[in-house]
Amino acid sequence: MESARILAVGTSHPPDRYTQQEILERFRVVNPAVREVFQASHIDGRYLVLPTADESGRPTETQGELLAKHRRWALRLGQQAIGRCLEGTGLGASDIDCLCCVTSTGFMLPGLTAMYIKHLGFRVDCHRADVVGMGCNAGLNALNPTVAWARANPGRNALLVCCEVNSALYVYDDTLNTGVVNSLFGDGCAAALVRADPLDEPRFAPRVLGFESHLIPDAWDAMIYVWDEAQGKFSFQLARDVPYVLGLHADIPVDALLRRHGLRVRDISHWLVHSGGKKVIDAIKYTVGITAHDVRHTTGVLRDMGNLGSGSFLFSYQRLLAERGVRRGDYGVMMTMGPGSTVETALLRW
Amino acid sequence: MALDPKRLQTLRYAEDGTVATVTLTHPRIDMRLVRELTEVCDHLEDESPTRVVVLRGAGGVFCQGIDFADFRPDEPVDIHGFNKWEKLCARVERLQKVTIAVLEGPVVGGGVQLALVTDARIMAPGATLQLNEVHLGFLPGMATFRLAKYVGLGHARRLVLRCPVVGSDEALRLGLVDEVAADLETAVARTVESFGPAHVVAVTLARRLLDESYQFGFEDALGHFLAAQHRAISQAEFLATLRRAHGREA
Repeated sequence: MESARILAVGTSHPPDRYTQQEILERFRVVNPAVREVFQASHIDGRYLVLPTADESGRPTETQGELLAKHRRWALRLGQQAIGRCLEGTGLGASDIDCLCCVTSTGFMLPGLTAMYIKHLGFRVDCHRADVVGMGCNAGLNALNPTVAWARANPGRNALLVCCEVNSALYVYDDTLNTGVVNSLFGDGCAAALVRADPLDEPRFAPRVLGFESHLIPDAWDAMIYVWDEAQGKFSFQLARDVPYVLGLHADIPVDALLRRHGLRVRDISHWLVHSGGKKVIDAIKYTVGITAHDVRHTTGVLRDMGNLGSGSFLFSYQRLLAERGVRRGDYGVMMTMGPGSTVETALLRW
Repeated sequence: MALDPKRLQTLRYAEDGTVATVTLTHPRIDMRLVRELTEVCDHLEDESPTRVVVLRGAGGVFCQGIDFADFRPDEPVDIHGFNKWEKLCARVERLQKVTIAVLEGPVVGGGVQLALVTDARIMAPGATLQLNEVHLGFLPGMATFRLAKYVGLGHARRLVLRCPVVGSDEALRLGLVDEVAADLETAVARTVESFGPAHVVAVTLARRLLDESYQFGFEDALGHFLAAQHRAISQAEFLATLRRAHGREA
């Protein structure tokens, strides 16, 4: 069976970028614990679609308005990221045979795939799958079946789109929990073209060699979406120690994935880790045994854009390619972490 | 691939209980030695049940630095071999074992560089240390990065730029070595003993944080410490400590 390669990637974000300080001022956040969380986040700024504030400085959106914002911006960001991904490949939306879309920031029915087919020029017979509500790790949960589809359908084009409008998750109640969530997430969309060619000519694009997952059932409720009755909104709750718990388990799927291919951590040249937050990145560094340099794109994406959810690791991937330092034969590991709680991994080889 | 000690041309390798001994039988560093020492590191991390590695020389000589046989004046300049050497040194520095170097004879250039990446250094009274590279027109590897952390920038400038031969008394005073011992075998046994149970996770995490202490600011280092500490206290070794503290069998 042919290997599938990631042939192109494209990303997008909303136009407006806010520093942490600007957000604190805009919503007149006074709680010193929340202010400290914002300032210690290792995030310089984030692209967001922020609402206007009422006289007290509070955002005024209802849950219905948040859902409408998600739909509106998911279309716009998706259009840009898909366009940038396909640019230069000689392909258009009508050449895509399988579309797999990921989001956790707004429930839609029909889902993103149907909306993109309606508005963005995909064929009506395009195969589609929507991966919804799986959180930050979902990009790899979706890449896995996308790669499997591509391998089962050699020569045909599969497109993965990870689109998160985290601005549509805004709950503002001045508690530390919403403060942590509101300090962390940014908006962004990433698209990746995947294909397995029957006569696989050597090309400089990584083959996806395999995946390994690890669920931590004990941390089932460590990251969880709950209905906040008082606010009339969904609210994302993050347990305090979950970054370290995730980090502690990160070496389990990595070891399994590498052993299956006869590799060790020292054989991996490139690490594309989800920009979950400073603590979880640190925990992974000291558990897997990788350096600050290995996760430079992970910390860079976090610093420049915050946690972008499911597409985050593809933003790091794009930065890695832009360095032009990858060499033929290099191995890379993609790693995403999120609700479940889970650590997902994929092995690449250029 | 399993290590075949008989195949090694520049090293002898032996394991005795929890201690592995790597003996450099070739007093000069060439690409063969770099390759073989890298293979030994693979074996130590992937297969060996040992916890401590003793790195020493043969015939009263630890290591006398680079062998110029690999470099010829009529060939183009090639930095690749130096990169291989630095990768090896970084590998030894981060090895998932406790590392001990036994320094005998005139220890020169790369021999000193290698000693600086170990966890403990024992020196014979008559041995000397010298980073002679700058006098020969090249650089003492990443000793330029590591040396000042041991001795301070002033001493590092003197040792690197003027290439003095440093005797054991001065080496001990500067903190380049931990102990000067006439009876090396007893000193090695005592040093192995001093690492106690050598909990590999705790040792390697603590070592990494120490090595990085010159590299990051306090806030970053605190984040690193908390991540590392969470990992350490999640290990079976620490659980055993807690059980003992609470008077139960581990």
